[in-house]
Amino acid sequence: MATYDFLFSSLGLEKWCAEDTSDTPLSMVDLLKKTKGTEAQPDSIWELPFPSMDAFHESCASFPQSRDLTKGLEQGFLDIKDNLSVVLDPLTQPLSWFLDGALYAILNTPWWIVIPLLLAVVFVVTKSWKLVVFVGLSLALLAFIDYYEYAMQTLAIIFVCAFLCVLFGVPIGIAMSRSDMMQRLTIPVLDMLQTLPPFVYLIPLIFLFSVTESKLYGIAIILYAIVPVIRLTNLGIRLVDKDVIEAADAFGMTSRQKLYKVQIPLALPNIMAGVNQTIMMSLAMVVIASLVSAPGLGVLVLQGIRNLELGVGLVAGLGIVILAVILDRVTKASLARINAAQKQ
Amino acid sequence: MDRNIKISIRNLYKIFGPTPEIALTHVQQGMGKAELLEKHNHVLGLQDINVDVHEGEITVIMGLSGSGKSTLIRHLNRLIEPTAGEIEIDGEDVLRFDENKLRKLRRERMSMVFQKFALLPHKTVLENAGMALLVRGYAVQDFEAEAKKWLARVGLEGNENQYPHQLSGGMQQRVGLARALASNSPIMLMDEAFSALDPLIRSDMQDLLLELQGELEKTIVFITHDLDEALKLADHLVILKEGYVVQQGEPQDILMHPNDPYIIDFISDINRARVLRVRSVMEETTEAPESCDGDISERDNLESVIAMSEGDTNHTYRVMREGKQVGVLDMKELVKALVPTDAAEGNERTRY
Repeated sequence: MATYDFLFSSLGLEKWCAEDTSDTPLSMVDLLKKTKGTEAQPDSIWELPFPSMDAFHESCASFPQSRDLTKGLEQGFLDIKDNLSVVLDPLTQPLSWFLDGALYAILNTPWWIVIPLLLAVVFVVTKSWKLVVFVGLSLALLAFIDYYEYAMQTLAIIFVCAFLCVLFGVPIGIAMSRSDMMQRLTIPVLDMLQTLPPFVYLIPLIFLFSVTESKLYGIAIILYAIVPVIRLTNLGIRLVDKDVIEAADAFGMTSRQKLYKVQIPLALPNIMAGVNQTIMMSLAMVVIASLVSAPGLGVLVLQGIRNLELGVGLVAGLGIVILAVILDRVTKASLARINAAQKQ
Repeated sequence: MDRNIKISIRNLYKIFGPTPEIALTHVQQGMGKAELLEKHNHVLGLQDINVDVHEGEITVIMGLSGSGKSTLIRHLNRLIEPTAGEIEIDGEDVLRFDENKLRKLRRERMSMVFQKFALLPHKTVLENAGMALLVRGYAVQDFEAEAKKWLARVGLEGNENQYPHQLSGGMQQRVGLARALASNSPIMLMDEAFSALDPLIRSDMQDLLLELQGELEKTIVFITHDLDEALKLADHLVILKEGYVVQQGEPQDILMHPNDPYIIDFISDINRARVLRVRSVMEETTEAPESCDGDISERDNLESVIAMSEGDTNHTYRVMREGKQVGVLDMKELVKALVPTDAAEGNERTRY
């Protein structure tokens, strides 16, 4: 006897319930009950179970258990997986090429070319010698403790992913800013991407793609890091001074002229703030993505956890901090340059 | 004063709200602004506006905030769409214009100066001044000379390569003015263009505008809430209140014959001697006066005549236009004209 027997008998469903009682797998609770040989007697109102799937299943064997739900979901995913892969595989293949290409290039170029090149990029975007010296010393430190290769792998992945985030994120943000409908549809997706725990991204991706392919972690990083650049592009364009937009209209600008000559330039400080956030989030995700074979400093952190190598884990963590500080300072400095050029 | 009508506004209505068409029928049946807001939750912006803007004149639209003047000026280039009515520019119905024609109108035949300047903060002064030409597709080097010319004309020589935020408010609005002038459009819309400036600079800008207008003879629609500014600039004055036209006409005429307590209230605070001109108070005659203490121009204001007479009310002056006598001004008549209207016509002001 179970609590909700009366429900099924009053509905006249006893026959349907009795149809297959045999092959459902036993749960731990059932097993315990069997071994104890006693059945719980929930006659007190205090022990009334919530009318859940499992509670109904106890009264009626044909009623599905909650683990049938998760199993069904899994089965469904596995069933569409092959068809989905046919579409997604070729679409995402360039990502693998970009990532592999970037990793190959940065590792096969000698350090005395890569480091000056990076310093030159820093100087071009920030115009600050102080930062160039700081970045140079940080990279030298990483190289000196023989973490150069790992750090460069992490940087290469971040560059590719952040670039793709901007490439897709800015147009999506622009589309959102131009249509309220688009904004209403996109915001729930962005909210979900932002609140979903980073590990959860990896689960469906592991099913869809092979773990040996680099696009697996590439997609995980992009999905996680693209949100701020979309949000801040949208916000930046919507925050452009209404008076200036009105002036642009009054002088007969087309909407394309308005976008390229007024809205995007004026939204640039916000867009750059989004790029800064995107880069920082890619760095966070590239460490987690080492679980699915992303190379770089994350691998060392993982090794530290797995093998309880405290020193390796800590030094790799410190290396990530150094990279984070470099990336943050450089993007913030270029952001400050843009802000200075167009304060109102 | 027989100039062509450049812009003609006929029976213009604007109602803000979700179903303006339904609200319009209520308004046309005589429902007022307050009742419409209360019963139907629609805001009556403009109500049955009929204004003719003549070519080459400054038409000033004046009213307090909320009177609909900024809404009205934005109808002229359709930044705001009307609920009902007609707007004709050079005889063409603007409301029938498609997107391309409307853009062409905004690019070539109209320019606008804004209260908050609305310059592009990321462009130099030169690029801002040439914005209208930039929009038409010219490159910077093509319009550089033109933009420089107008910047120099408004007194900004040497500031071409600065950014707007490096300039003071008055200078920024000079850029705004140069931007409108450089578009070379016959019509200029000025939305409270000088309201954000401090009084001395505002006065300078008004003088600059009048000086430029003497040369260029544009058709200017000027919005203001400041009566002194309106009287200084206007060839034709339109006074708006709660979305309808209370009175319109020659400013001197409105001053001498206000037809609404609202206007009396407005004009009771101004310095009448400074804004009234000799031609509005003189006696029109070509006969020479018996005793003449001097000649004055019909355009002189009364303040200058009082200064000339040194306060002696026994003087009489001949009023001249282009070297010929057109009237006679007795100082006693002048003093009568200075009596504020509300005192003369019962104390209407107490109603407010």
